[in-house]
Amino acid sequence: MNSIPVKPNVFSRFTTLRANQRLVSGVDWAGKWAAPILDILILILAGFIAPAFYNPENLKTVGIQIAILGVVAIGQTVVLLVRSIDLSVGMLMALGAVIVVQTQEGASIPLALIEAFLTAAAIGLIIGLLVTKRQVPPFVATFGMMVFIQGARLAYSHGQASGTVPELLRAISINPLGGFLPAALVVWVLANLAVLFVLKLTPVGRWIYAVGGNPAAARYAGINIDAVVIGAHIFCSMSALLGGLMLSGYIGYLDLGLGADYNTNAIAAVVVGGTTFTGGRGNLYGTAAGVVLLILLLNLVVVLGLPINWQLAMQGLVLVAATALQGFRQFLLNR
Amino acid sequence: MSILTGTPKEYVDRWRPVFAFIRKNGSIVLIYGIILIIALWASIFSPAFRSAPNMVNILRQSIIIGLIAIGQSVVVITGGMDFTVAMVARTTALTIATIFLYSHSNSDLIIPLIFLGIGIGLILGLINGVLVTYTHANPFVITFGVANILRGIDLAISQNPIRGIPAPYLKIYDAQIGIVPVNIIVMALVWFAAWIFTTRTRPGRALFAVGGSERIARLSAIRINWTLVMAYVFSGACAALAGLFLLSRNGVGDPAAAEGMEFQSVVAVALGGISLYGGKGSMIGTLGGVLLIAMLWNVFNFMHVDIYYQQLLLGLVVLIAVAAYKSPRSL
Repeated sequence: MNSIPVKPNVFSRFTTLRANQRLVSGVDWAGKWAAPILDILILILAGFIAPAFYNPENLKTVGIQIAILGVVAIGQTVVLLVRSIDLSVGMLMALGAVIVVQTQEGASIPLALIEAFLTAAAIGLIIGLLVTKRQVPPFVATFGMMVFIQGARLAYSHGQASGTVPELLRAISINPLGGFLPAALVVWVLANLAVLFVLKLTPVGRWIYAVGGNPAAARYAGINIDAVVIGAHIFCSMSALLGGLMLSGYIGYLDLGLGADYNTNAIAAVVVGGTTFTGGRGNLYGTAAGVVLLILLLNLVVVLGLPINWQLAMQGLVLVAATALQGFRQFLLNR
Repeated sequence: MSILTGTPKEYVDRWRPVFAFIRKNGSIVLIYGIILIIALWASIFSPAFRSAPNMVNILRQSIIIGLIAIGQSVVVITGGMDFTVAMVARTTALTIATIFLYSHSNSDLIIPLIFLGIGIGLILGLINGVLVTYTHANPFVITFGVANILRGIDLAISQNPIRGIPAPYLKIYDAQIGIVPVNIIVMALVWFAAWIFTTRTRPGRALFAVGGSERIARLSAIRINWTLVMAYVFSGACAALAGLFLLSRNGVGDPAAAEGMEFQSVVAVALGGISLYGGKGSMIGTLGGVLLIAMLWNVFNFMHVDIYYQQLLLGLVVLIAVAAYKSPRSL
């Protein structure tokens, strides 16, 4: 078959574009494999232009940053798979850390952790309810939640976060396991394995892909769409909180600006990794590759000694390029 | 005997047009009702709030959020969203401030630079529009990414406040023509132009058609790409104009200017009853949303609400506002 049959009822903005098999499969391939290939290219390139990158200390930093962004990106992937999006992850990361550090002074750490995770679950539940029951566009609902969490954090900490980071948080992020491997990487790999198991081998995973791929069909198949979407949001908020705890353990102190740029980074990493905004397409391998790509780029900016604002521009460029590529890919695949 | 004169049916008939108006424009009636209630409530508790200068102040201060929200509502009507508005305003302000700095505060440059600023907005809007239409990507995310790039560029322009704005330029924000402040005149003109554009002109109606159903718009021979690009260009120009006023108000090129404006503009638009799924809404609602937000900040200040709780309250208002309206989602 040489050409994709064009469905007569699909109206596109590309009236003049003739999609042939080669273009479609090429864009599809690029969407899936861009991140891993770029990863390898950048790793090779870094050896030539920035030998300081392979410094063990730097590699350790990169590893921890990959792990933290990776944990947040896992939740974001699940949410994007069900055609939603979460912009409140960055704020939630900071809120969770603030709650844990401030409550552990009086209460015990397990209690503080339970409190923090329940808060995250409640926030995810509210977002999920807004998105499913009130049909608020997820972008707006989570953006509103972001402002709300920011306000709640200011009201709770009165502008000054205090307290020392408990030893437990250091143990899950910066402390080396077996001599050199940062614990954060282990947490990231374990989280990836757990979610991969759920996505690939359990009914829940199939529900998620079904709801994202075609919600109407999923409903006729007897899947409770609303429950799946709400569950995805709760999971995303909790994984963002875990990422926040790891981040505060890594930094070692509390900062109200904590996690501010994780919103853009998490979405960019997931989209670079081949997950589309229209749901049902994407996986965790791609997300992991996307996370590695983004952190490598951001780290290279530092290692090469470029001004720090290049990091911001880099995040934006990656997000725009990846969004454009995935949008085009999804568009071609749907024709 | 009764306060109702006539039978109940006659009574209902007499009020039917009013009911019909309320049913048709529910969100607009609601928002202006809320504005009225908050204004009355604040007037009772705070004599300073109900003074005439304060009322003029609220109108004057709403110009920046107002201009941005007017541009934003045009984009939202098409079913998209422009998250670059705050960064467009900031980029414009910083660029103009830098040129003033290097030209030694030459006040002859004011008029050309105002046009240059609006030109920057037009170009950035064009970039957004082209990206959104020709990559077929999600407009929310793509403008979010562009905003991040602009944020990086702004930091590259300057990380410190830029001084050296000529004195005549600083007077623009406080200037008056007769007794009417320039701000209110500009805001009224832009709003009126946008209102005429969206209700009375052919390209303006095309915005609603594209936002309602792209497929039907195409069947009706509406140029979708052109309409979308135009909406983003308009939004960029409005944001740039807001940036010019912001520069005049702040007096320095502030690298942290307009933070959070993209969100406040979306809130104003949503509060004004414009459907965030596109295709529905009016400029009258947007004006109500802008006035409500400007008034809320003013009331917070007069009520001495703790600054730590102001943002919490705003977030709460936002969540209630987005939860309160329901629009059908097609699966």
